[in-house]
Amino acid sequence: MREILYAGFGGQGVLTSGLVMSQVAVFKGQKATWMPSYGSAMRGGTANCTVKYGNDTIYNPGQEEPDLLLAMNGPSYQAFAGMVKLGGIIVINSDIISGELDVREDITLHRVACSTLANEIDQPRGANIIMAAAVIKLLNDFSLEDGIHGMNDMFEKKGKQKFEAGNTKSFECGYNAV
Amino acid sequence: MADMIKGNVAIAEAAVRAGVQFYAGYPITPSTEIMEYLSGRLPELGRSFVQAESEVSGINMVMGAAACGFRALTASSGPGISLKQEGISCISDEELACVVINVVRYGNGLGTLYSSQCDYFRETRGGGNGDYRCIVLTPESIQEAVDLMAPAFELAEKYRIVTVFMTEGALGQMMEPCVLPDFIEPERHSWALNGKYTYKKIGIFDRNSMTEAVALNEKHALIKENEQRWESGHVEDADYVFVAYGLPGRSVKGAVKELRKEGHKVGFIRPITTWPFPENGFKEVNQNVKGFITVEASATGQLVDDVALTAKRVFRERNVPAWSLCCVYGVPSLKFTKDGFARIMNNELKEAY
Amino acid sequence: MAKERKVPALIDNPMSFCAGCGHGIVIRLVAECIEELNQQDNIIFPIGVGCSSLLGGGMVADRLHCPHGRAASVATGMKRVTPDTTIITYQGDGDAYNIGISESLNAAYRNENITVITINNTNFGMTGGQMSWTSLPDQKTTTSPKGRDSGATGLPFRFPEMVAGQFDVAYAARGTVTSPKNVNKLKKYIKNGLEAQINGEGYSIIEVLSPCPTNWGLNPVKAMEQIEEQLIPYYPLGVFKNRKEKQDA
Repeated sequence: MREILYAGFGGQGVLTSGLVMSQVAVFKGQKATWMPSYGSAMRGGTANCTVKYGNDTIYNPGQEEPDLLLAMNGPSYQAFAGMVKLGGIIVINSDIISGELDVREDITLHRVACSTLANEIDQPRGANIIMAAAVIKLLNDFSLEDGIHGMNDMFEKKGKQKFEAGNTKSFECGYNAV
Repeated sequence: MADMIKGNVAIAEAAVRAGVQFYAGYPITPSTEIMEYLSGRLPELGRSFVQAESEVSGINMVMGAAACGFRALTASSGPGISLKQEGISCISDEELACVVINVVRYGNGLGTLYSSQCDYFRETRGGGNGDYRCIVLTPESIQEAVDLMAPAFELAEKYRIVTVFMTEGALGQMMEPCVLPDFIEPERHSWALNGKYTYKKIGIFDRNSMTEAVALNEKHALIKENEQRWESGHVEDADYVFVAYGLPGRSVKGAVKELRKEGHKVGFIRPITTWPFPENGFKEVNQNVKGFITVEASATGQLVDDVALTAKRVFRERNVPAWSLCCVYGVPSLKFTKDGFARIMNNELKEAY
Repeated sequence: MAKERKVPALIDNPMSFCAGCGHGIVIRLVAECIEELNQQDNIIFPIGVGCSSLLGGGMVADRLHCPHGRAASVATGMKRVTPDTTIITYQGDGDAYNIGISESLNAAYRNENITVITINNTNFGMTGGQMSWTSLPDQKTTTSPKGRDSGATGLPFRFPEMVAGQFDVAYAARGTVTSPKNVNKLKKYIKNGLEAQINGEGYSIIEVLSPCPTNWGLNPVKAMEQIEEQLIPYYPLGVFKNRKEKQDA
């Protein structure tokens, strides 16, 4: 079973990044859970969610030891980097988190300038999809096609199919960025 | 293929499919999505939704709709449910049927927004003034929650009692795939008020409380006999049996699986009804069991009282100790349960009873 | 041969009000109006807590004893699921205007299609005559033994005028039971309120100034005089919000 922690400021779209991951897993016939931080944390402060997926029963949908942390801002990195599993992965938004980072030796760190990339492909609101795709690539459980299909299926069911071309573009960009 | 769906939204849609005709309530985190969803959905189907000025008013609107024989629902969380107790007690006294959802959050007074199980005593003991109980359902997953919604109403109507649907903040806010139940169209109750003098009982006058007490006890006995629900595993040969419900109950099943692999003879009982408490589940437990261990999201340990009382009834000839592992709020990790078990084995944790 | 006294079909039992109480007159008027509007098989009473509770004991009609003050909310739930049934809350001033002020105001605020009948006797009758928000300045009650000190406890307020002035309600009136003329007027108010509901016009409130000889410490005749002399000057009789079709006519 995989565990991923998506964290950032409210408004950066981390909850949606996590949802894309979980829906792709479900799309491919796996079990998945998505557990957000909620309440006052939704408004203005930090936002995060834990996604778990795999073929076995998910007993605890809550956060335990993430295999991967997506940190969209500095405070999220500071708060959660220490919780990542031994030998785990951390992906940071290098547009916001810059400079030297104190990284544990067992961790593999990936820097993705998601906002810059989003602007380059003319998808200014696509940074979170770029990151969702980067995470899916790094975990290596689902192909690019599975990811795009699962994501587009999710947005279509939410009545947001008009963003499909843009989302696909962002997803491909993120998948190829790591 | 089922899609990811938020617990509160799935529960609200399940209520629609169970034939809920009326909803009244007041927003409170972490239950609010239920009323937000129903505010659009019920009118779309020609049914009624009222945003009440308070929880007090909301439960009394539910009382009115329930008295008229329709499936009526309200939802809230800890402090809001406190305000509803006046109405819940009156609905119970009038023997009307309705469902009250408590998406439990942690704390006393205003408390916090954390997911919790701290309202266990209140919900399983009736909650308001007087001498009544509510049937209490405690699902472990979104799938189980939506599957329990129609039974929640059926039980309420069968016994003319309030069903409290007790979930947790985390279950309301999380998402996982679920298959929604089919639509049903319940009939209006024959005993309901319809304007034609159908309901002869009235208020606090001309009542015989002694006769009513006998009927009340008979009703409670019948519910205890017929309506216990639980899931259990590995209890026949268990040295120690974990007892936990809701999301902690689900997490404990994972911990039991791992402890079994490590060679510990442990089992679990996961109450699905916390009232009536699943005493029958305890009768299946190894007669030589060495102890029961509750895992609960409260500070003080509440479930452990029912476990100890039940153990006293089932194992009459000896005292089976009961421990309580309290994570206060949230969903306990598998590690939390396993570490707690290790502490109990090392005599580092005193039993509660 | 003694003439048989006509009793409205809805009433089957003597009700246990005090001698000289106004409730009996009002209930008779309500029962007559229901019959005249052919609603006797289509009526539910959500009943308040207090002397108004006694309505339940003598009526052949669906009734529900509501938690104290919450009748307007209970009525809301009833009306929303059975919009064709006539719903009348029957409450006292303590129930509707003190503990239930929130529920009462909010039902009016929503223009809920129900009829509210409030018996205002300026005190809490059932519990033995405590001060109500409608008690007059200097009125002696068991919780204002030296007379109501309005500086410390507030001034009595006029609910029908309040909802007529502030909210989009269908009908608001105040009547009393002190004379045959006033009783006849009151019956018209009650009938208008019920018709407004039956026609789906919205919220109607009829407040009734009613004597409470027991708690006022007066005989029944003096209690009626008290209403004329003390209450009506503060609580004027009349219609404060008329039905639209009536205004057009």
